[in-house]
Amino acid sequence: MNTQDESVLKIRDVTKVYKGKGALFGASGKDVTALDRVSFDIFKGEIFGLVGESGSGKTTVGRLIVGLEDVSSGKIFLNGREVVGLKGRARKEFRSQVQMIFQDPYQSLNPQRAIYDTVSEPLKIHGVGNASTKRDLVREILQSVGLSPPDDFLFKYPHRLSGGQRQRVAIARAMVLKPTFVIADEPTSMLDASISAQIFNILLDMRNRLDVTQMFITHSLAAARYLCDRVAVIYRGNLMEIGSAEEVIRNPKHPYTQALLDAVPKFGHHRDVSRYGTLLIKDRDVAGENGCVFFPRCAVALEDRCAGSRPLLGRVSGEHRVACFLVEGA
Amino acid sequence: MALLEVDNLSIGYNTKKGYLKAVEKVSFDLEAGASLGFVGESGCGKTTIGMALMGLLPPNGSVKEGRILFEGKNTLEMTDEELRKIRWREMAMIFQAAMNALNPVQRVGNQIAEAILVHDPSVEKDQAMDQVENLFRLVGIPLDRLRDYPHQYSGGMKQRAVIAMALACRPKLIIADEPTTALDVIVQDQILGEIKELQKEFDLSIIFISHDISIVAHMCDHIGVMYAGQLVECGPREGVFESPAHPYTKALLSSFPTVTGKRSDLIPIPGETPNLVVPPHGCRFCDRCSGPEASCSTEPPQWVEIAPGHRALCCRC
Repeated sequence: MNTQDESVLKIRDVTKVYKGKGALFGASGKDVTALDRVSFDIFKGEIFGLVGESGSGKTTVGRLIVGLEDVSSGKIFLNGREVVGLKGRARKEFRSQVQMIFQDPYQSLNPQRAIYDTVSEPLKIHGVGNASTKRDLVREILQSVGLSPPDDFLFKYPHRLSGGQRQRVAIARAMVLKPTFVIADEPTSMLDASISAQIFNILLDMRNRLDVTQMFITHSLAAARYLCDRVAVIYRGNLMEIGSAEEVIRNPKHPYTQALLDAVPKFGHHRDVSRYGTLLIKDRDVAGENGCVFFPRCAVALEDRCAGSRPLLGRVSGEHRVACFLVEGA
Repeated sequence: MALLEVDNLSIGYNTKKGYLKAVEKVSFDLEAGASLGFVGESGCGKTTIGMALMGLLPPNGSVKEGRILFEGKNTLEMTDEELRKIRWREMAMIFQAAMNALNPVQRVGNQIAEAILVHDPSVEKDQAMDQVENLFRLVGIPLDRLRDYPHQYSGGMKQRAVIAMALACRPKLIIADEPTTALDVIVQDQILGEIKELQKEFDLSIIFISHDISIVAHMCDHIGVMYAGQLVECGPREGVFESPAHPYTKALLSSFPTVTGKRSDLIPIPGETPNLVVPPHGCRFCDRCSGPEASCSTEPPQWVEIAPGHRALCCRC
């Protein structure tokens, strides 16, 4: 699973800077670096979790891959082909391979379109099948996302569906072309726990049966642990830690990952929690921007070292890599 | 005498589709200084209970039956004037999406001072500002942010300001409705920690409403599990979460991903919640239950005592 030639998606040194607009009068605003030299691979057939808080840049990664926004620098490869700056037919071909599932199923479905129209649109755009095979493909995919019998749903409109059913429609729309790679951006954050678990199981099923490689963007370590093979933890545009989901959550090395785990309410174990205690009670005031991005909040940081330069991802063991000066081997 | 006694409370909404029975025959007690957590999925009626306690149901909602006894007095029989005297002064609520509850064109410190002045005319303006400073210290907002406007605050600070406002009149009971749902996990942890400290310091009673089992388990000593407008199980935290009795509580627990425990344990609950305009005759969870009996779909379930103080609304328990 971890040889180079099996990686479906390769991201190399991707940086995204949003230009500051500035005030109406006066100096131009500050540029915001949403992603700073981010590199990682996603291997064939895996579900890769990108975990971060709001503003960490996790959604930006997804939007850059699909091409909803342009990278400032760096390269993205799908199956070995560079995808940044694709145009015309090549871009259309690429978009049939890469699909996205958005967070809010109340906004991502067109309310004026019946389910059949929504789910068959990718087939129409990419010229797949004729009228009758299209109908069969749509039925088949609705069945496999658990909207059954599919004929009951084909001509319903989104307002007749619950949140969980809408998200199933969004998954069906993303999967109907049997894409190589799907990005699911917080697909369950609007849904209840019991419904989220249903959606997780559909995504797992899609991977197992259709062999769809997926990137799961989430703020929840618990959800990532359940769904993902490997996870990367991102903070303020920098990858902090990457490794197998079990390893990163059971044996986190980066002080930020440890702080995140500390903060998760430990249900059932609230009495005997040992905490890592890596989060400062009061943030440091930091002048420069050269140091580690977590330095202002890190309780274990070394004043001289961590403030002066930014650590790179280094190997701890096997797949597990951490960007921290304090971690041995990293 | 318990601080709050809710007895057989039923609440409904008039909707275009008919009369929606949002809450049915809910009873519970809350002692002074105790914490009670309501957990359940969206539409289960947990927020409606909070709103009814505050006397703030929307115009299309009304209490059909039952009593809400606050310090022995039925709030449902109070006049608006009497209710206004206890609302915020005796019991306060932290709303969902509270960060949008602040007035954007007034300085945060002034807003809270105004809340104090309105509810207690005997307080001078200077005294009110002193109290606001104390409140800011309590909830952990730096004092130099007193004169800021809400847009200058981060999400976590706005939430802290709203908690400060709820505490402004020193209430005995705080109803916190998903107070941290929109926040990141680290900020959430800090705010939950602060609410816990404040509870201890002022001997507050707290009703905590959330869809997140782990938060409720973290915050509350007593748990009420709600499903489709009914309280289906309630009791002490250890009882409800370590030996759950109702099939819905069990199913909810096993559909919830955690960072501890075994990874293979996640099992979704099949199906969807019932329509509350025409709720099922028998048990409302019957269609989604793992092992219903024939009588479950026709006979309404009865309360069963599992252990002292721990009961479940299920014939199979």
